[in-house]
Amino acid sequence: MRFIGLRLARGLLTLWFAVTVTFFLVRLLPGDPVTAVADPNMTEALRQKLLADFGLDKPLAAQYLDYLGQLLHGNLGMSFRQSIPVTTVLMERLPWTLILTVSAMVVTIVLGIPLGVLAATRARGWVDRVIQITGVTAQSLFVPSVGIFLMYLLGVWLRWFPIGGAVDLDATGFAATLSMLHHLVLPCLSLVLIQLGGYVLTMRTTLIEALGEDYVSLAKAKGVRPGTVVWKHALRNALLPTTTIAGLQLGTLVGGAVLTETIYAYPGVGRAIYEAVGQLDFPVLQGAFVLLAAAVVAANLITDVAYGILDPRVRTS
Amino acid sequence: MRRGVLLAALAALTLSAACAPSVPGSSGSSGGQQPAPSDRLTIGTTADVLNYNPLVGNSRTDSWVTNLMYPHLTQMDMTGKRVPYLATEWSYAEDGKSATVRLRDDMKWSDGKPVTADDVVFSVMTVKKENFGVVAGLITALDEAVAVSPTEVRFDLTRPDGTFLDNVGFWLPVVPKHVFEKAPSVQKFANDSDWVSAGPFKLTKVERGQRYVMERVDGFGPGTPAVKEVVFRVFPDVNTEVLALRNGEIDVIGNVLPPATAAELKNDPSVKQEQIPSLGWAHLQYNVKRKPLDDVRVRQALAHAVDYEAIRNIALKGYAKSSNSSVLTPSLPEWADPASKEYTFDPALSKQLLAQAGVSDLSLSMIYDQADPNIARWAPMVRDSAKQAGITIKLQGLERNTYVDKSLKHDFDIYAGSWAIMDNPPANLGLAFKTGGYINYGQVSDPKLDALIDQAQKALSVEEAKPPIQEAARLIRDQVYDNVLYVETFNVAHNTKWTGFKPMPSELLSIVNPLSLAAAKPAG
Amino acid sequence: MTAAAVELTPRLRTWSAFRRNPLGVASAIVLVLLALVAVCAPLIAPFPEGYGADTSQPPSAAHWFGTDDIGQDVFAQVVWGTRVSMAVGVSASVLAIVIGLLIGVSAAYFRRLDTPLGVLVDLSLSLPVLPLMILVAALAGPSVRTLAVVIALFSWPEVARVVRSQAIAIVPMPFVSAAKVVGGSSLWIVRKHLLPGVIPVVGVSVVLTTSRAVLAEAGLSFLGLGDPNSWSWGTILHKAQQSGALATAWWTTLFPSLAILLLVVSTTLLSVAYNDARDHRNSS
Repeated sequence: MRFIGLRLARGLLTLWFAVTVTFFLVRLLPGDPVTAVADPNMTEALRQKLLADFGLDKPLAAQYLDYLGQLLHGNLGMSFRQSIPVTTVLMERLPWTLILTVSAMVVTIVLGIPLGVLAATRARGWVDRVIQITGVTAQSLFVPSVGIFLMYLLGVWLRWFPIGGAVDLDATGFAATLSMLHHLVLPCLSLVLIQLGGYVLTMRTTLIEALGEDYVSLAKAKGVRPGTVVWKHALRNALLPTTTIAGLQLGTLVGGAVLTETIYAYPGVGRAIYEAVGQLDFPVLQGAFVLLAAAVVAANLITDVAYGILDPRVRTS
Repeated sequence: MRRGVLLAALAALTLSAACAPSVPGSSGSSGGQQPAPSDRLTIGTTADVLNYNPLVGNSRTDSWVTNLMYPHLTQMDMTGKRVPYLATEWSYAEDGKSATVRLRDDMKWSDGKPVTADDVVFSVMTVKKENFGVVAGLITALDEAVAVSPTEVRFDLTRPDGTFLDNVGFWLPVVPKHVFEKAPSVQKFANDSDWVSAGPFKLTKVERGQRYVMERVDGFGPGTPAVKEVVFRVFPDVNTEVLALRNGEIDVIGNVLPPATAAELKNDPSVKQEQIPSLGWAHLQYNVKRKPLDDVRVRQALAHAVDYEAIRNIALKGYAKSSNSSVLTPSLPEWADPASKEYTFDPALSKQLLAQAGVSDLSLSMIYDQADPNIARWAPMVRDSAKQAGITIKLQGLERNTYVDKSLKHDFDIYAGSWAIMDNPPANLGLAFKTGGYINYGQVSDPKLDALIDQAQKALSVEEAKPPIQEAARLIRDQVYDNVLYVETFNVAHNTKWTGFKPMPSELLSIVNPLSLAAAKPAG
Repeated sequence: MTAAAVELTPRLRTWSAFRRNPLGVASAIVLVLLALVAVCAPLIAPFPEGYGADTSQPPSAAHWFGTDDIGQDVFAQVVWGTRVSMAVGVSASVLAIVIGLLIGVSAAYFRRLDTPLGVLVDLSLSLPVLPLMILVAALAGPSVRTLAVVIALFSWPEVARVVRSQAIAIVPMPFVSAAKVVGGSSLWIVRKHLLPGVIPVVGVSVVLTTSRAVLAEAGLSFLGLGDPNSWSWGTILHKAQQSGALATAWWTTLFPSLAILLLVVSTTLLSVAYNDARDHRNSS
């Protein structure tokens, strides 16, 4: 319990740190949010008025304290550009990002674990080589090129999948769910392709290490069936780096799916952040950073707890 | 273990699938009735609507959507002349100190109230009072707007201003007074739901990041639209957008096609491209306050070191016209000066001019917006042709905000860019070249030029404004206060299944202007 | 894992095991070839500049990789792009690995440093990488050096975290405690016990980071933050994307994409082969 409490405190500290760093970094961005919002073609008086409206005329320290105060009340502020609450902006996008990233991660894990085990148990065999080459190749694909290729092949040419978007306009009820899955296939596939290689390789490396560990040899010596040895002992051990990577990816995926979301016209958070950078919409940027930081802190917390459960060595120390 | 993971995966997928209908933004209210293909016109755009308040929003998608909802006093024909929309006729008083506009009487807000002179007065006076948006900078001559009758508005001006009606007619969206006046600050009014509008289409559904659904308005004054529904769909990447057009998922690409794509799509029989003249121009500006650019011979040397033909033919694929180095472009034939001559590409002459100016080893940096596909294409060509004249140009392709910031702060040697809409030369040249003008990036300060522009702005008719403004344009050309490279011919693509569009100049209007979409109908 | 009765020196055994792995050897050859292309670019093709009359031509004998929309030779672009992309990838990766290794090992070994360093890593990981890269690249102005530093700056935490998670499992092991009891210096213990233990993971990290750096460079250039005065593979892709040619002029994207693929695949396979060769127990 104390372990979790400590981690929680650390998570909060991380969150505050992230908020602070991003608050000041965002204000270092070249350019002027007022010019980005209004026409550059404006009078100095109007400029001053807009600055005051956005609260950007106050000293930095005051702005910072104001923002922290707002945050404590769960208020992320109003978007400069859209005149609506930042929470609304982000919450409209978040479900789509979660659907995309979670489904991509689930598919990656479902495919990655057996592939990793297969490669590790047949290390240096041809199965291993095929898995390695395919995994690595997929991982080094450049998302926009692949996206366009997939959409051209499977969308325009074979007409199996729609081009862009997240759901059909006319679909309702169950049809909407189907349409959503239909739109999800290609972007999800792209994300899986680029994640899978790294995941399988890490699994493979760790498993090969683990298969040589003393306790595995011991189990083998005790006459435990080889299959059981792999699945039970080695795999259990190898799940540690897997959790790390999964935790990492959940965090980075949410903000890092920018290219995928852009090329597939998928309405996710990553795209919203990229657009907010272009619009110098500080409140949206800060809000998004807070959201992402929270997601990563949560993912790390889960990873740490999972470590404690999976690896007795960590728990005892 | 494996089964467990698989089950969890399945559960997660089912869960996310089951959640789908309740996801905000996907909750449909269209009742599951799929309209026939000819009832819906889908338009691709590369960005979301950021602000539904037409008085504030200034992105292209903002304008496209809100233009369908809020009428303007006038629209424009293909030569840039104003044509009636909400206004039927307009004129200045003899002394130029007031202007009168008559309105049509058959326009209604979507809540049943008529569109009247009060709404026009409210819109323009709010902009003046709260001082925001594009329009505010254009109506500095306005003293007071008065509703003479429900269909007549009089604008009292503090000084004769022949640009006033053109500017107000084209730029001012008319908003419903009875809705907008309730907001404590109109500028901060988001107007993001329960829209009351009067254009040919009304906004009914928004799925941010995905699409904006607009339904036709029966009994729209200038004529009920043929198409039942217009949908704007967001495709951030133009490559995907083109695939969607070829696949039939969208019928029109609202944004301008990159020249290479336009050239490629020419071969596609299912796609038709409309050629839209630009109201702006692409140009290089030299910072005349920096040495040695303050010497006109150096600027002329630079002007002779650009291969204009190559830029138009290679980078723009021929989808560009020469403006003869004049800021009065062929898109506005009323104003253009046929006597103007383009600078020749002549590196030898360029070297000679530099020698006369006593400048050697000239090395300059050039800023541009890397996200602008055309400029990113021709900026290296400018560098390479200048090299032939012994001039080194270092490219600074910048992120957009940095670029705008540097332009406004005059922090550059050469500025490469393009102006989108310069619809009224006396007004626009004033902003761009008069001492202290808001977009006078090159810091031009020439009393003679200021006087000429002032004279043109006071003139109440094109005939009267033309001589001074043409002289101003010649001065700008000869002094190289602006080096006009070309006027782009925009290509806007639509599916051949649709016809009847009414193209208007500029990307802002093109074929997605309200009168065009109201007239669009299925072909055959 | 430790020095348990070895006859041949480990290095020699690794080398002989490595040589028997065709994938590893092939990857090494490809990498050497790519490096040669990078170094000898001026001898292979003229620097791509200006414009040509043959615009958007598919591959032919005159233009092996075709031409782009202003008539430049795509082959020349890819050859010169090899230089910049490899330079960015390698320097970013080296920088990231050094920082990550230092921080990861210190966190695992010096228990007092674990919490602050952990917070630092958590913090760095909780920042949205791509938007921040965009921000920093925009701040510093687009140049090759900026790209390398920016990518390294946001890549080390992952290395650090993976290194720490591996090292932390080694520190409590009996042989480490034994070494401490015997009075071995920290540096010696780290070098002798900790580093060999984390190398397999770092080996994978090296390639993952290099590939990520090359891809990040492509991504940043694709988003318009590349260096406009030099050619990288990402720049070629960015220009193709901007001209709307991704679907039609396939050769403008295929060849730079293939180049990225070749580099990343061969580095990855090389490191995997290296890991396998290092791991002597299974090679019997």
